[in-house]
Amino acid sequence: MNFVLDPKEFRLLDGLRMNPRKSFSGRVRGERLTRKKGVSIEFADYREYSEGDDLRHLDWNVLARLDVPVMRTYQDEEDLAVHLLLDVSPSMSFGEPTKSELARKCALGLGYVALMGGDTVYPRTLSRVTPRTLPLRGRASFPKLAAWSQASSDTSDSFSKSLRAFANSSARTGVVALISDGLDPEATTAIRILAGRGHEILFLQVLSSVDLDPDLEGDLRLVDAEGGAPVEVTANGSVIREYRKRLAAHNAALVDAILRVGGRHHLITSSWELSSVVNDVWKRGGWIR
Amino acid sequence: MNLQSPSSLLLLAPLAGAIILLYLLKMKRRDVAVPATFLWPARTEEVRANSLFQKLHLSWLLALQLAALSLLVLAFARPQSLQTGLIGETTVLVIDSSASMQATDVKPSRFAEAKRIALEAIRSAQPTDRVALIEAGPSPRVIFPLSSDPLKQETALESVQPTDAEVDVGPALRLAGALVGSIEGARIVLISDGDFEPVSDFSPGQAAVVYKPIGESGDNLAISALGVAETLSGRQLYCGVKSHSSKPFNGTLTLYGDGKLLDSRTFQIAPHGSFGADIPASSQTKVFEAKLDCPDYLKSDNYAACVTDSGASLRVLLISRGDLFLERALTLDPRVTLDRANTLPSDIGDRYDIVIFDGVAERPVKSRGVLTLGVAGPPSPVTIRGNSKSPKFLDSEDVKALHGVDLKNLFMDSVQIAVPTARGRVIANSTAGPLIVQSDSPSQRQLYVGFAPLESDFPLQVAFPIFISNALDYLAGATGTSLFSVKAGVPFGVIGTSTATLTSPAGTRTLIPSNGGSLVVRDAKTVGVYKLDVDGKQKTVYATLNSERASKIAPVDKVLLGKSTVAAIKRQDRFADFWRPLVVLCLLILAAEWWLYARRS
Repeated sequence: MNFVLDPKEFRLLDGLRMNPRKSFSGRVRGERLTRKKGVSIEFADYREYSEGDDLRHLDWNVLARLDVPVMRTYQDEEDLAVHLLLDVSPSMSFGEPTKSELARKCALGLGYVALMGGDTVYPRTLSRVTPRTLPLRGRASFPKLAAWSQASSDTSDSFSKSLRAFANSSARTGVVALISDGLDPEATTAIRILAGRGHEILFLQVLSSVDLDPDLEGDLRLVDAEGGAPVEVTANGSVIREYRKRLAAHNAALVDAILRVGGRHHLITSSWELSSVVNDVWKRGGWIR
Repeated sequence: MNLQSPSSLLLLAPLAGAIILLYLLKMKRRDVAVPATFLWPARTEEVRANSLFQKLHLSWLLALQLAALSLLVLAFARPQSLQTGLIGETTVLVIDSSASMQATDVKPSRFAEAKRIALEAIRSAQPTDRVALIEAGPSPRVIFPLSSDPLKQETALESVQPTDAEVDVGPALRLAGALVGSIEGARIVLISDGDFEPVSDFSPGQAAVVYKPIGESGDNLAISALGVAETLSGRQLYCGVKSHSSKPFNGTLTLYGDGKLLDSRTFQIAPHGSFGADIPASSQTKVFEAKLDCPDYLKSDNYAACVTDSGASLRVLLISRGDLFLERALTLDPRVTLDRANTLPSDIGDRYDIVIFDGVAERPVKSRGVLTLGVAGPPSPVTIRGNSKSPKFLDSEDVKALHGVDLKNLFMDSVQIAVPTARGRVIANSTAGPLIVQSDSPSQRQLYVGFAPLESDFPLQVAFPIFISNALDYLAGATGTSLFSVKAGVPFGVIGTSTATLTSPAGTRTLIPSNGGSLVVRDAKTVGVYKLDVDGKQKTVYATLNSERASKIAPVDKVLLGKSTVAAIKRQDRFADFWRPLVVLCLLILAAEWWLYARRS
């Protein structure tokens, strides 16, 4: 399966930048302005000279005219850490097209935007054994990102467990782009924990028609695709209604948790096109600009 | 509540056990993978089972199925409840329409009360009850067969009319028995005053017989006798009145001769006493009538008539080893009073107007006429020379005895070869010789027929009753009477080739069709004077009750019906089946169970 973006989608994404609400400190010089004063070419302000200052930033013109030593200060430019957390668990393989297909494309698109914006991209899959991936920077890293996005599905831990593991890691604080179906009873708790580490969460929830409108009937033993406890049900109108009610409540709790920590959330279905996601979610929602 | 088949309840345990066993079976469910199971409610409705055991869970389906099964088993047990009313699931109402039912001790009359009770019973019947109505009249009549249509039944009931006839309810009860005797739980309800002869040869089968009595009093006077006797002082008309009451009565007896008042007497009669009157009677008077005026409850026996016209009454002795065809042809004639014997009694004297020897050798008698069928004797107008097998009819003379009688296709198995005596006149011949010979002397008329009716197909032919009637006319020496005295309700026959008209005392006209040259009159059911127009001739028929049994109108508490005595019911209680509502309820529960099942699966 090839999830590489087509030229039209590249054109759609070109020129866009990640638009976090928060400001994060960078590790390497990048193209993103920070609140720290630095040595970039972006002028910020003047300040009085103090002993020991780098004379290279002394404004000689002001000294000559006013005989007052004034130092020029500059806005520093640093990179942004963009953590791409892609859910590749078995639950993502439901739907037609599958949730995983759109999720991988979205991760690739978002990663492309970040790379093009000079940000550092940390791609991760929410799986039991998280392969250590090197941070990706610059346009030249896109092929690596594309190869990562096509990684095979793995038997993952639960969504919440994976998020907790990520939150407890020493990952740089930054934007966490979470692309998952979010079908985990502990998802809200994990999100709160993740937000507590200072990350800004962008949660793109991908659900399929199987999740939203299950076509089940009769006496069934429902087997959890991710190893949860099986449930015996008699799928009828009443049970289906109850399921929908519970799903709506779960999603509402997710949205509430994310909004409370200053994150962003949007629910899409697996039938969406990437262009719709870019235009209707990311651009309109201010995820990128 | 009563159970007709309580052993059926034993089915409940195994059947309920079988149903519960099915619920103990665990359901085998199909595995379906879903993205996440935590959103699904663990709600199972176990409506199908196809695997081995599990713990029994409370289920509405199980409860409903057990309830439906309980109702079904209870319905199989045929529960009955005690209800008020005459009608059962299958009921035949037998209404007595005899003369005594016209008594007015119950207002307006016993018969009207009987119809009211029958009507009430029909209206109280359940939609599923089947009811039939039989009128126990002079001849039993099914008013309506077993049906569940109250409107038609009510309409048919309205058509039932009382009679002044003495009735034997036996045929009606036997008819009812034939109708429902094989139906378990059926009822035969006899609505009557019980004033009838005990019924023999009756078996209700599986049906129950219920006797609903009508009547309160037996106060009644009746004209018990009216006749003419030749005495030393001349011809006398005598009339007797009898009391069937337990209290004294005052009354007035009026006698008429040919419609003219002859005498009227006021009398007082003691309880169960009698009163008699006799007056000189003119020999020219042909009809005497008596009318009784008193405050009793039955009016139909307060009238009597006596026809003294010669030929109007014939006392006939039939000496035969048994010939129902001949007996029927004789009894159809209203003039005939028939006695039967196997051999000639030794001392009959001149008590009989006509003696008939049927297959029995003729012997000398003093009657006015002798009819010999098949076996001639010394007095016969023929001498016998032997027997001939299967002769053919040749010819006949046009004499009164053979008027309207066609013998052309007559089959005779065996005929006596006869030679007429000097006084004998051959009026019909066969290939074996003289077939019918008549003899007319001043003291006696004789008619000889060379074969017995049962040795031929003569009784099956139209000509047979005509020949018998002609023979009676010839032997009695009468030219045909126009006056009859009959018992009300008793069918009688007259000779006639076209449709006759019977005009009742109330002026109602009834057309009576001719069947094979004779007419059977069945509609003279009430007491009074009828006019019968036959072939352009006017005949007068006097219908009277003339039955001491019918005049005893005291209601009877117990009646003998077949081999058992049936007591009058005091209350109109009955056991009514209610298995049908149980079955309906069972079906409703099953429908609810199905709905629940469909909703859950």
